[in-house]
Amino acid sequence: MNEPPQEPVKYVESKVYLPYDYIAGDYKARYLAALKDKRILGSKCSQTGKVFVPPLICSPESFAPCTEFVDVPDRGVITTFCTVNIPVIGRDIELPYVAASVALDGAAISIFALIQECKPADVRMGMRVEAVWRPDGERHGDHQDILYFRPTGEPDERPESYINRL
Amino acid sequence: MSTATRESSHESSHESSIAPLSQKQVMEFPYKHSTGETVGRFLAGLKSQKKIWGQRVSGQGVVVPPTGYSEIDASAGGEWVEVKETGTVTAVAKVHKPVDALHPSTTPFAFVLVKLDGADTALAHIVRDDLAKLRVGTRVQAVWQADDQRCGSIRDIDCFRVIA
Repeated sequence: MNEPPQEPVKYVESKVYLPYDYIAGDYKARYLAALKDKRILGSKCSQTGKVFVPPLICSPESFAPCTEFVDVPDRGVITTFCTVNIPVIGRDIELPYVAASVALDGAAISIFALIQECKPADVRMGMRVEAVWRPDGERHGDHQDILYFRPTGEPDERPESYINRL
Repeated sequence: MSTATRESSHESSHESSIAPLSQKQVMEFPYKHSTGETVGRFLAGLKSQKKIWGQRVSGQGVVVPPTGYSEIDASAGGEWVEVKETGTVTAVAKVHKPVDALHPSTTPFAFVLVKLDGADTALAHIVRDDLAKLRVGTRVQAVWQADDQRCGSIRDIDCFRVIA
């Protein structure tokens, strides 16, 4: 034998295992705790007045500290979205579903959200949506306290209102 | 599949103070890596021949494991060369506290680079025993999995052992 077998091994199968301790910082901890009370917290840039959700400790744009917390409404506008047709391990949402960036009213940046209660084909940029919360007593102060967002039926927003809040 | 267990406590959210919040998470997923022909034949050699093969490529000598090309001038690697299962350690990193299900050993071990006899590059693997003796320059030998256990993986070589 002066060479390896002609027929190669085609695959190596393994399991990737990554244990991870997530520590929420002060601002993120406040944000998560507030979800329990059906409140969405943002932080306001001391220089530009822009509101960041989830709250940031300083503005990535002006670098000024964001010392003031503000409540933002649990409704907003879809800025961008994608329709998911491919199953993901560990996700049991019925396909197809829509994942979207939602700019909450008054917020300078958008959060990532699931869109339900409408056909994926009907989702569009500018669509007005509102949060659907976990029932009282079942919220634990984590991202799953907001189950998903659904259309409000309000008229669409014009692109110029959300184009810089993607 | 990812699972998360919470170890957290918050006070009600009056905004003067907030308890630290932490979450132990495990992200795990199956991963099927397509080996490609060159590495695929190298692995087939481990599995069915119990041999370690390299390729002679321009500018690099005998490369183990082979990539199928030269990193010097990108020319194709053609000639297969069998190397020995003994070699010399060129680098050592001891792991005193292995992480369960992450590391290839549950007891303290060392990651090593081994330049096998006949090869010009070093192979990454592990040493399980005699860690105190392990140095750059230590001579080691492959410890193989049993014939019916070898499946065409680098772990068909279970580990390398120190040879006095």
